[in-house]
Amino acid sequence: MKGKVTTKRIAFYIGIIVVWQIVFSLNILSQNIFPSPIQVAEDLAYGAADGSLFLGIATSLWRLTAGLAASIAFGMILGIFMARKESVNQTVGSLVLGLQSIPSVAWVPMAFLWFGLTDAGIIFVTIASSMFAVTINTYSGMKNVPTSYIAAARNMGASGIQLITNVMLPAAFPYLISGFKQGWAFAWRGVIGAEIIFSFLGLGFLLNVGRELNDISQVIAIMLVIMIIGILIDGLVFKKIERKVMSRWGLA
Amino acid sequence: MTKLEARNIVKHFDHNGNNVLALDGINLRINEGDFVCIVGPSGCGKSTFLNIIAGLEKPDSGDILLNGKTITTPGPDRTMVFQEGALFPWLKVIDNVEFGLKMAGIPKDERAQISQRYLDMMQLTKFANSYTYQLSTGMKQRVAIARALVMDPEILLMDEPFAALDAQTRDLLLVELQLIWERTKKTILFVTHSIAESVILGNRVVVFKNRPAKIKKEFVVDYRRPRLAEDQNLVKYQQDILAELRTEVKAQIKGEFEE
Repeated sequence: MKGKVTTKRIAFYIGIIVVWQIVFSLNILSQNIFPSPIQVAEDLAYGAADGSLFLGIATSLWRLTAGLAASIAFGMILGIFMARKESVNQTVGSLVLGLQSIPSVAWVPMAFLWFGLTDAGIIFVTIASSMFAVTINTYSGMKNVPTSYIAAARNMGASGIQLITNVMLPAAFPYLISGFKQGWAFAWRGVIGAEIIFSFLGLGFLLNVGRELNDISQVIAIMLVIMIIGILIDGLVFKKIERKVMSRWGLA
Repeated sequence: MTKLEARNIVKHFDHNGNNVLALDGINLRINEGDFVCIVGPSGCGKSTFLNIIAGLEKPDSGDILLNGKTITTPGPDRTMVFQEGALFPWLKVIDNVEFGLKMAGIPKDERAQISQRYLDMMQLTKFANSYTYQLSTGMKQRVAIARALVMDPEILLMDEPFAALDAQTRDLLLVELQLIWERTKKTILFVTHSIAESVILGNRVVVFKNRPAKIKKEFVVDYRRPRLAEDQNLVKYQQDILAELRTEVKAQIKGEFEE
């Protein structure tokens, strides 16, 4: 079954590349706006050979990791407070919903003014774009802990912080995971978006360079890299955790 | 010696905006080593009464005394086995069993020693490292019982723990619970809607009247143990209780019809 899906997928991607090559060979579109798959591959090879591609990947991933880690930490703490104190939810909660609706690039001008052309500026944008998704999911998870778990835990002598760390957070784990997953997706958009505008190293910067040089192959090559990183993180990190959590929590 | 005493417990709850009297002055005295079953129609308030004893709900008035001292908060001296088990799916069986010990700050080695004893008693040793989703409903309730016993409570509270089990598993656990009771000499308060269950388990069976709940009558089941589900001699006890309960069930059906 799984093998069949993989075969189907490989055939699909080969098909795309073949169609792409055919359209290119027909010469309908100028090479300046429509490169061949081979040109894109050459561009990737060139970037890999001079190391600029790996530097770009490493820079973007470091900003992603730093931003996402901070988002998860701050986002969870805020979510826990909102779930535990109704007055925090009534006040801060409404602001969180508002902030969550701000598109990530809308944070860039503020980050630029506050932090200048620094890593900190881009990480700030990453945090601002992803943190509130973590907060909202943490809040929902804590609010949806089955009352029987809490009753059982209190019955066995758990209280206060013990109740939060030993029962409520683990019980909320399926929600937390979807919060992290959403957070990561927002963070990745935030990093790339900020890098394009900041034009200060990273994959977003390389995209911008491609635009400035009128090099459509480089633009498409970097977009492919951004997509592949997305697929890998989703598939290798989140799908695995999700599957495990779903079966253990009896949700699958 | 009196282990637990409920003094004039009154409790109202909110039902569709109406203030309904749920418990209308419950008085109950449970002696050390007693096995008391509360039986009554479903929704009559017997689980509420148990939750009040556990400290999970507060009565509007009245007191619960454990060993002569008033209690108001939940505590591991009154551990409960819940109907749906309420096991933690993120923990292995052994960690579920050790949960209360961990909360009490007992060191790991000591926890392992204590939990081993109860895993053995409930025949769970083989499943110590399983997760709860890998267990049958019957196995889950064994874990729930082990998790409650491990705290060595003054009184064990059981809230319809066998209601969701298939008949064979239930009959098996009914016998095992009697053996555990004899072996550990625990005081047990067991809530059920099954008259058959109540006469198999209890040496006292307390019949709750329908809403508002009050104790209608108490029966003493003085019969050898372990009692088996198929023992025909228990039918006589069942009939006595059923006669008492029949009017209650009718009243409940009538009440629901009028709502």
